[in-house]
Amino acid sequence: MTVVSTTPASGVAMLAPSARTRVIAVIMAVIGVFTVLVFGLGSVAGAHSSLTFNPVNLSVAAPWHVGTLTLLTRWTNVVLGIVMMSIGAEVFIRKPRRGVMLRFGGVAILFLFALLLWAARSPGPSQVSFVNLTAILIGSSAVAMVLVFGSLSGVMCERSGVVNIAIEGQFVGGAFVGSVIASTTHNFIYAAMGGAVIGGVLGLLLAFLSLRYLSDQIIVGVVLVTMIGSLSSYLNLQLLTPFPQLNTGNLAPNLAIPLLSKIPVIGPVFFNQTGFFYLMLVLVGTVSFALFKTRYGLHVRAVGEHPQAAASVGINVVRVRYINVVLGGAIAGVGGVAFMASQGQFQPGYTSGLGYIALAAMIFGRWRPSGAVVASVIFGLSVYLSYILVSYQVPVSIYILQMFPYIITITVVAGLIGRVRPPAADGLPYHHD
Amino acid sequence: MTDAIATETRPSLWVRLTSGSPIVVTLFALVLGLLVGALIIITTTPTVLDAWRGLFHSWSSPGHALKVTFDNVGAAYRTMFTGSVVDPASFWHAVTTGKGWTTTLTPISETLTYAAPLIIASTGVGIAFQTGIFNIGANGQAVLGGIAGAVVGSMLHMPTVLHLPLTLAAGVAGGMAAGSVPGLLKAFTGAHEVIVTIMLNYVMYAFLLFVVLSTPFQQPGQQNDISRTMDPSAQLAPLFGTGSGLRMNYGIFVAIAVVIFAWWFLERSSMGFDFRVTGANPSAAKASGINSRAVLVLVFLVSGGLAGLAGIVQAASTTHMIDGGFLIGSAGIGFTAITVALLGRNRPIGIVWSSLLFAALGVGGRAMQASTGIPLDLAAVIQSAIVLFVATPVLVKEIFRLRTTPTTAVQLATKGWS
Repeated sequence: MTVVSTTPASGVAMLAPSARTRVIAVIMAVIGVFTVLVFGLGSVAGAHSSLTFNPVNLSVAAPWHVGTLTLLTRWTNVVLGIVMMSIGAEVFIRKPRRGVMLRFGGVAILFLFALLLWAARSPGPSQVSFVNLTAILIGSSAVAMVLVFGSLSGVMCERSGVVNIAIEGQFVGGAFVGSVIASTTHNFIYAAMGGAVIGGVLGLLLAFLSLRYLSDQIIVGVVLVTMIGSLSSYLNLQLLTPFPQLNTGNLAPNLAIPLLSKIPVIGPVFFNQTGFFYLMLVLVGTVSFALFKTRYGLHVRAVGEHPQAAASVGINVVRVRYINVVLGGAIAGVGGVAFMASQGQFQPGYTSGLGYIALAAMIFGRWRPSGAVVASVIFGLSVYLSYILVSYQVPVSIYILQMFPYIITITVVAGLIGRVRPPAADGLPYHHD
Repeated sequence: MTDAIATETRPSLWVRLTSGSPIVVTLFALVLGLLVGALIIITTTPTVLDAWRGLFHSWSSPGHALKVTFDNVGAAYRTMFTGSVVDPASFWHAVTTGKGWTTTLTPISETLTYAAPLIIASTGVGIAFQTGIFNIGANGQAVLGGIAGAVVGSMLHMPTVLHLPLTLAAGVAGGMAAGSVPGLLKAFTGAHEVIVTIMLNYVMYAFLLFVVLSTPFQQPGQQNDISRTMDPSAQLAPLFGTGSGLRMNYGIFVAIAVVIFAWWFLERSSMGFDFRVTGANPSAAKASGINSRAVLVLVFLVSGGLAGLAGIVQAASTTHMIDGGFLIGSAGIGFTAITVALLGRNRPIGIVWSSLLFAALGVGGRAMQASTGIPLDLAAVIQSAIVLFVATPVLVKEIFRLRTTPTTAVQLATKGWS
């Protein structure tokens, strides 16, 4: 009754990592050349771009004035392009074992930034002639935060050997429940708890089907996402449309940390955030500590690497997996509430694949919470930069710009696999009899 | 001796019903899925909830609450059936008076209209599944196929004999182009197809919006996200003529051809054999000299090509153009195709039956939305629930106390990321 088996990876000969490193190096160099030619030399000699550093929320404005940084568009972008080319050259020649995709992510961000500088050049076609760097960082931090929640959820589940591909569904469920609770109680703590519960329940369902009945985890996960997606869209029409008071605008309030929030640029980004952001920082530390410094974490990793060996020393493999998948689901559920609280309300389908990008961030971060943060920052910046480029009159269709984060994700995943090693028992069913 | 006699006599109906064979499990999964749907209707429909609340507030009888519940759930499922298969009253009217056949046949015609592209896309997903590949990107591939086909269908002009095949071929080519990306990436870098295809789905949606809003392809004189209309020579014409009012069309024959092709491909062709061996046991496939890299690329070309064909069949048989909402949300046949393939156990015949069922659920869901106000998305929830139960046969057997036969105790082989 084998319905499906996913991924026949053993038996697939892949392109040698060193050859792939060179391909990536060439891609980076080409992006660099393109930047120099189009964004650099393509702009008028006298054109300049202004960088401003205004915090969006003026209550945390620095006590002293932070001026505008005016850059010559042409030469700034030429320098940026040369930096990209030299990173490409360095990778091509040295073929470093680690950090290739990190460099690629950096180049992608630099490219989008160069595009932004070029789009905001003055004299130029755009109405908006400045780039507010602080606002960009704040906006990206909101996306990155959601991705961190998602990839932490992935780390929790996959370190114990269960692939949680339903993160997207847990985001949607959390966003829905979070919006209803936040609208009725006006309390984001309750909303977060509700999101954690719904995420945990979905995690429990995934764990139940894949641990007790040994179903294909990826298939169950994908079907769960489809189910939650349509259920949320059903409930949206059936409940939220007739009772709009259940889905009112609910932006989580910013909690400014005294003094620290007044630091220019950094302050508004790190110390004037919603409670979800601080919770995310705490969770990164907690999960990291729990996985790598505690006895329980050792059990989890043992279960994820070699369940039979773990069982032989008395670890209850199935229980550890249940706990981790439920906790992971809860984290993703809170991530969904955080996303809702940064968007203001629930809309069907508005997570647009963030749950899967979070999975890619988890792979990028080598199944480590700290790595997931770095990866989420890169993906968050790329998502947000392509999103705000819409407000500048770029001669490229906004729909083409929207593709960038997804293409970057695909490239990163393609460049990484084989270079990183997932937990050995990741996604494999465990027969405990 | 007694054993021999027992095997010779035909088992009783009761024994067969509780046997836990795949078909029985599927039927019970259907029942469970419909129960989940009923539960959702009950817990989310205000009138039903009010009736139950009346039990405690105004001490009304439980019978009333039960009646309201059954009325609502019954009305939903009844309209789902009459809207997708046949309305008995209208059928009787047509038989007795000889009039109103169009109205009577419309539901089944609509179901067949939606089933045709679904069968095609699901066959592609099923072939990929049989090779051990999870093609979640069928929707994106169908979108690109639809775009390519609609471009050929609307911007080139020639007689039907050439135009229709060329349009369909363009759809296949578009799907193949979209499918080649995850195939090549998986073959040469090992990138997991699940993430790559999902990300490509979003790329394709963005591309769709881009092309339907760009000058050569956008409907002239329109500011909206609508493409040019395909020439009549590129459309899949209704079977009973354009004036018949029934949308049932030649797409059905395309679907039948695809099913026959899939059967031949999987059961008779040597490439199909390589595919199935790779899916059953990748190491054995490699040891016996099958080029696994070529299989990976080819399976995505076949699967993507079929998805692309489904996209263009959908566009050429119903809307005759594509817009920004093409295959998005509940209309996304690429996503339904995954559930259909799982329900049909990836076999061509199973896929035909499941496609008809899920097309009926979708079409009936639309009728339900129109007459009872219960959103169409319920149909998609029921579909996913059914597939969740089908994917965990042991659960279904435990719920209905079916016997677990040794063959069905074999579980799915799950594998991780790389």
